[in-house]
Amino acid sequence: MNKLMKKTLSSVVLLGAAAALYQNFALMPNYQGLNEGLSNYIIKSGLTDTGSLNLITAVLYDYRAFDSLGESTVIFGAVSGIVLILSRKMLPVSSKGLSFIVKRTLGIMIPFIALFGLYIMTHGHLTPGGGFQGGVILAAISIIFSIVYGSAFDYRRYSPQTKTVLETGGAMIFLGLGLAGILLEGAFLKNLGFLTVETGTLISAGSIPYINIGVGFKVGAGLAIIFYSMIQKTFEEDF
Amino acid sequence: MFNNLIFIILFMLGFYALVMKTNLIKNVIGLNIMEAAVFFWVISFSDIGGEVSIHKLGEKAAKFNDPVPQALTLTGIVIGASTAALLLTLIIELNKFSGTIDRDKIEGLND
Repeated sequence: MNKLMKKTLSSVVLLGAAAALYQNFALMPNYQGLNEGLSNYIIKSGLTDTGSLNLITAVLYDYRAFDSLGESTVIFGAVSGIVLILSRKMLPVSSKGLSFIVKRTLGIMIPFIALFGLYIMTHGHLTPGGGFQGGVILAAISIIFSIVYGSAFDYRRYSPQTKTVLETGGAMIFLGLGLAGILLEGAFLKNLGFLTVETGTLISAGSIPYINIGVGFKVGAGLAIIFYSMIQKTFEEDF
Repeated sequence: MFNNLIFIILFMLGFYALVMKTNLIKNVIGLNIMEAAVFFWVISFSDIGGEVSIHKLGEKAAKFNDPVPQALTLTGIVIGASTAALLLTLIIELNKFSGTIDRDKIEGLND
């Protein structure tokens, strides 16, 4: 009875909050962000400013590149915290893996998954995608290794040391391009415009593709480390 | 108007899971539903019926959607994934420490 009363009371409170929210939304003016200001400027001159066809990538890695640096620092902080909490021993605890058919099928598929991840990563300035998305696809490969082939296989093929090197290397690429911006163009993380050959080709948009590659490796390795440190503890009791 | 309604429903579902459920993993799920509601609302809010904000070579599009909320949403998704992973890690560690993930049954934290 006590639980039922609690549920009824909280439902009433939530319904009241929902009604208040709906009332507030009804009072809001319609969207008029594109008439003037920031968004309109980016749509008008984003291509000539940055050379990136994808305007979202232009916002992320040129106009707000410093913000993206902070974002990848957040991922680094999360990875550091998780590894600090979870990994008291570095030895992998192996699961047996799945059946022979699954192993062979994924053995054929994994190179194509890697190629797709790299494509998404490097073409961030031309098509939808970018460093974060491609990095997540690359992290899926490590997760497939752990689930399908067992975590000992993942440890041998793609060891935690390699992942650490990849993550630090990605962050170093990002910071190095920022410092190169100071030296060559005069501001931190300013776009290196002289790297552009022709707008619309793969090597264009200044330093945006290189930042994408760095962020991709950083995010991919970071998520793989997170998954690895979680799985080696969860499977500990079974084997 | 529909996007506001769906936002409110999703947000309140997530809030209900966050407040009323005592299983900590369900609380994390509720937090993620609330995040998803906010992202959905920001994206649908900025959709003015234009094209995807990517230029095509050789042709000029008449109207683009606003790219800034989409970039901000991408930032938010990454932060949300990081916080969810950290929360789940803390729950794993709590389970090892006190043997339960029900927040009403946790004991021994005063020692």
